[in-house]
Amino acid sequence: MSGRGLGLSPRQIALWVTGIAIFLLLPRVITDPYLLHVAILGMIFSIVASNWDLTLGYAGVFNFAHIAFFGIGAYTSGILAVRFGISPWIGIIAGAIAATIVAAIVSVPAIRLRGIYVALLTFAFAQLALALIVSQTSFTGGISGLVGVPGLSIGDYQFREHPVAYFYLIGAVLLASTLFLRRVVTSDFGLSLIALRDFEEYAVSRGVPLARQRFLAFLFSSIFTGVAGALYVHYLLVASPEVFGFSLGTLFLSVILVGGAATIYGPVIAGVVLTYISEMMAPLGPIRFMVLALLIIVTMWFVPQGVWGLLTRGFSRRNVTLPPEGLEADPDSPYGAGEEPGPAR
Amino acid sequence: MSVDTLVAILVSGFVAGSLYALMASGLSLVWGTLRMFNFAHGTLLMLGAYAAWYFSDSKGLDLGLSVGILVALILLALGGILLYALLVRPFIARPGADLVVIITTLAGASFLQNSAQEVFGPRYKQLDRVVKGQVEILNTAIGLQELLIIILTPIVLLLLALFLKRTKLGLAIRAVEQNHDSALLAGVNVGRIYPLIFAVSAMLAALAGIMLGGLFFITPVMGSDPLLRAFIVVVFGGLGSLPGTIVGAYVIGIIEAIAVFVVGLYWAPVVLFIVLILVMILRPTGLMGGKE
Repeated sequence: MSGRGLGLSPRQIALWVTGIAIFLLLPRVITDPYLLHVAILGMIFSIVASNWDLTLGYAGVFNFAHIAFFGIGAYTSGILAVRFGISPWIGIIAGAIAATIVAAIVSVPAIRLRGIYVALLTFAFAQLALALIVSQTSFTGGISGLVGVPGLSIGDYQFREHPVAYFYLIGAVLLASTLFLRRVVTSDFGLSLIALRDFEEYAVSRGVPLARQRFLAFLFSSIFTGVAGALYVHYLLVASPEVFGFSLGTLFLSVILVGGAATIYGPVIAGVVLTYISEMMAPLGPIRFMVLALLIIVTMWFVPQGVWGLLTRGFSRRNVTLPPEGLEADPDSPYGAGEEPGPAR
Repeated sequence: MSVDTLVAILVSGFVAGSLYALMASGLSLVWGTLRMFNFAHGTLLMLGAYAAWYFSDSKGLDLGLSVGILVALILLALGGILLYALLVRPFIARPGADLVVIITTLAGASFLQNSAQEVFGPRYKQLDRVVKGQVEILNTAIGLQELLIIILTPIVLLLLALFLKRTKLGLAIRAVEQNHDSALLAGVNVGRIYPLIFAVSAMLAALAGIMLGGLFFITPVMGSDPLLRAFIVVVFGGLGSLPGTIVGAYVIGIIEAIAVFVVGLYWAPVVLFIVLILVMILRPTGLMGGKE
């Protein structure tokens, strides 16, 4: 890990500095409170999607429980504040811890299982979490949500009277999360995740501990997701079951895929852009989610590596990581990877 | 536990089991042949119910229930083929196709759910029951519709089994299921088998939707719960094993009915989830599944 630092090239450092400068100046340009609101939401969603990219994109684990990590962060902090009067600042940390604990629990069966079973298990888990939240009305507010969640404050300074404060706080969290994720994926650990994804047998035979690496990927991806969930409720002042919902899940998936899976930067930028597009379509009702779904499908048809992948690595990203000549990705297949006319077995 | 409670539990268990069997056998067929999972399968159930409602109800085209059911089945068969052509076919040869297809079918499900919301509006709909009225069995009133579902489903599943066992097409499907490459070498037109599988699977889901639409309200999200149960069923019974899937469906239906009675409606899904975890850990290939 040493010497690689944050894995930033001079060009990337320049991009980072430009990005941060734009970010600091943005509230001076965006005077419309609604646009500021969309930007705040977009940054929260960027955090969730880019962290999901760690398990879905880098580790290639079919993890659909990520949306539940977000929801659990949200409800933990919301319930602590409303039912127990605990400070939202402590709630944010508690949200991160709760999300991480749940991620650890979910990952234990998930790393023992293969491909499709992980998808089924984690999908079922997210649905279960939603069903439980909705059912415990006295505690969670049920289907109508947990209302009266306090906003953030420092002393007498109420964040909700100054949305710019939320903007800077959440922007700083997004920055920290992105630096953390880039640190993770460019480290030896991140490389081992990619190795496991692209050629599991070979990676394991070279001594990569599969269960441990995937367990850690779940943990790392859940920390900032829990924080984002807590920030989300203390910004909107309500925790509603939609944080576990299918619509938000579709939005996150479209952010990852359109932005570019296994890039981190792609989802970070796409999170803000797609949230903006999605919010602009809000008056259209269900059509908004139809457009997002179409966006996912069209992206998968034409630019499977996503926009960021297209910009940075061209069309042949997957091929770069294929095993060397003579080693087939699928030992059961008489064909080379990708040439088989039938489904991948 | 009194007799009428027992009968009530058994009836609701078998009705649920029937619906899960129809849903899960479609999922299982797709998995068996393509090694892929259709996350839009629940929306096919929903579309089947809406199609039957639209063609039969007086607020729709008012063509009578039998026409509605027939048209719904035909439309959904075509819908299944279309879904295959748009969301599965383009990705089949790609590395990592299984994950890609999960995501495209999830997106497809979101698209179809929201389309239904947009087209049919938020007001709940209900299909006419195929048979109205009740019968008394052991002092317990049972709806005839429920009874019909319990009787009809095994017949449909038997027909499906006969189709797979006795017809040339069924033989081809099983050949693809067992060994895709050998089937190709033996002259099976695998490219034609896949859309056929999706058509059959969509019709089974539509049938479940039509049955469910007569019992409960038709909503855009009505397919999500049955789909989730069908996931549990295919894992429980063994992915790709049709007998395992059918037995699994009834077992899960009964377990759920008992769980609802014992721990209540809200905690029953937790019981099912625990069953799912236990099966996955103790016997990851399912009750009747072969080796992966």
